[in-house]
Amino acid sequence: MKVLFTLVKRELQEHKVGLIYAPFIVAMILSLVIVLVYFGVTDIKTNDFNFSTSIYENGEAVEWMRAATVEQKMTVIRSGLVVLGFPVAFVMIFAVLSYSLGTFFEERKDKSIIFWRSLPISDLETVLSKVFVVVFVAPLIILPALIFLHMVALLSASIFFAVSDIVPFTWIWNAYSITDWFRIIFSLWMQLLWSLPILAWLMLAGAYSRKPIVAAVLPLVGIIAIERVVLGSGVFFATAIERMQPWSLMSSFPKQYEELRVVEIADIPLLLATQEFWYGMLISVLLISAIVYIRSRSEYSSVE
Amino acid sequence: MQNDIVVKARGIKKKYSDNNALNGLDLDLHQGQILGLIGPNGAGKSTFLHAVLGLLKSEGSLEVMGLEPFKNRHQLLKKVCSITDVAVLPKWMTVEQMLEYVEGVHPEFDPEKARSILSKTNIKNTSKIRTLSRGMIVQLHLAIIMAIDAELLVLDEPTLGLDLVYRKEFYSRLIEDYFDGNKTILISTHQVEEIEGVLTDVVFLDKGQAVMNESIDSLNQRFLELRPNADNNEKAKSLNPINIRTELGRAVFLYENIDIEKLSSLGEVRPPFIADLFVAIMNRSDQSGEQS
Repeated sequence: MKVLFTLVKRELQEHKVGLIYAPFIVAMILSLVIVLVYFGVTDIKTNDFNFSTSIYENGEAVEWMRAATVEQKMTVIRSGLVVLGFPVAFVMIFAVLSYSLGTFFEERKDKSIIFWRSLPISDLETVLSKVFVVVFVAPLIILPALIFLHMVALLSASIFFAVSDIVPFTWIWNAYSITDWFRIIFSLWMQLLWSLPILAWLMLAGAYSRKPIVAAVLPLVGIIAIERVVLGSGVFFATAIERMQPWSLMSSFPKQYEELRVVEIADIPLLLATQEFWYGMLISVLLISAIVYIRSRSEYSSVE
Repeated sequence: MQNDIVVKARGIKKKYSDNNALNGLDLDLHQGQILGLIGPNGAGKSTFLHAVLGLLKSEGSLEVMGLEPFKNRHQLLKKVCSITDVAVLPKWMTVEQMLEYVEGVHPEFDPEKARSILSKTNIKNTSKIRTLSRGMIVQLHLAIIMAIDAELLVLDEPTLGLDLVYRKEFYSRLIEDYFDGNKTILISTHQVEEIEGVLTDVVFLDKGQAVMNESIDSLNQRFLELRPNADNNEKAKSLNPINIRTELGRAVFLYENIDIEKLSSLGEVRPPFIADLFVAIMNRSDQSGEQS
């Protein structure tokens, strides 16, 4: 555990801007926007353009909220909070993609791989620690940013709704379950496991190529083109796209719910029951094995 | 003596496309030895050290502390330390982060010892490695290595690119603070003259093979250099020197396996510098190669 903790800490120190700072900065910006929205601090009005941050001065929306049932109000608030978390999660996903492409490339570029490999850490341990960071640690890191953002949103909404005589100040805090935060994180864990073949592919490109972006994209384009020309089909392209989308959108996933909602833990067994998930895991294991093999035979490879 | 063998290499070969970097190298390294690998560029020095560290796969039989390095690199590196290139410490790290990292992954690392060594230098724990000079980076690397209780230290051109002051300091710290007689050091460098006083043994490498493998004591007995008095040059030549060179206009003769009594009457006699011996051995090797 000490070794894993050290390896993960090292990754976070090296990639602190993308994995730690960026989600927090986005959460801070969104929090500022929320405050502006609720309290109508700024309006931009010109002849051609009219943007008002005081959207809750929209009488129709306020009246709808007043008339809504408790259940409807709770759904609106919960959904709103989840949607609010999307930009933070998107930044995290972007950071994870960038990390995956760069992590094995940068250590070869600056030759620090020679130092890392001079210490008693196996290539398997190093590679798995990086996979662990992208799949499990990166989503966990955005939790404080999410909590901060949601707290600002709930506090702003509580004050506004209380002042607007829509709901009492304390009521709104019951609309959002603390477990929703962990559901979001859990869902992101499953999402990154679902997308792991893509992440492992990016890592592999960085592990062997001098131009990782080209190495990541070109073979995929080649396979798609060959399949289109030879077989006249587009299965590979569709599969690759599906891996980049939310797992709940995959074609074989049971469509139980239509509305926007907080991810339920109960969906996880449904995902684990799909063949696609396990095919993805198998491909990921093969790609990760290839990374370990290439790194163990790097023979002071350089990308100069 | 055989029980304390640290590195045992037999018939080591390594080929890069058409180039034989190692061509059947045999070598034994025993506990307590400081062995210098000396050879021209492309002789196979770095390739052999990388093989010892398990960083590349080679043909032949190679054992480091009883382990096959390439297969057991992880296990081996708990007992073996290395400085293989001065520029490889990750530049984004701070010195303190580096110490914490090594402490987390190396069971034999003593961070307090490293901090104590660093406290005697100008390196601050809060400094980022990218802000350190090349010489300071080497000092940091050496401080880390010295704080690891390793049995074998592998140094591959450790002072490359450093100025004279840092080079001298590197080797003096290595010997005074690190080497305790039980540790073993395998070192390669171009700057032979700087490690001459440090070594217990030398191996001359050429074209991937050992052309000489002896202890310094044995070399000093086997080879002698004569700077004859002005009228003794012809007599010196008649004693079959293996090499003649000129130094400040004066001939210097190198002999192998000769009685010192025969030479002492002809002029000044002393054991040769390793650098001069190396050049002579290489010339002889080239000449014998051409003749064959």
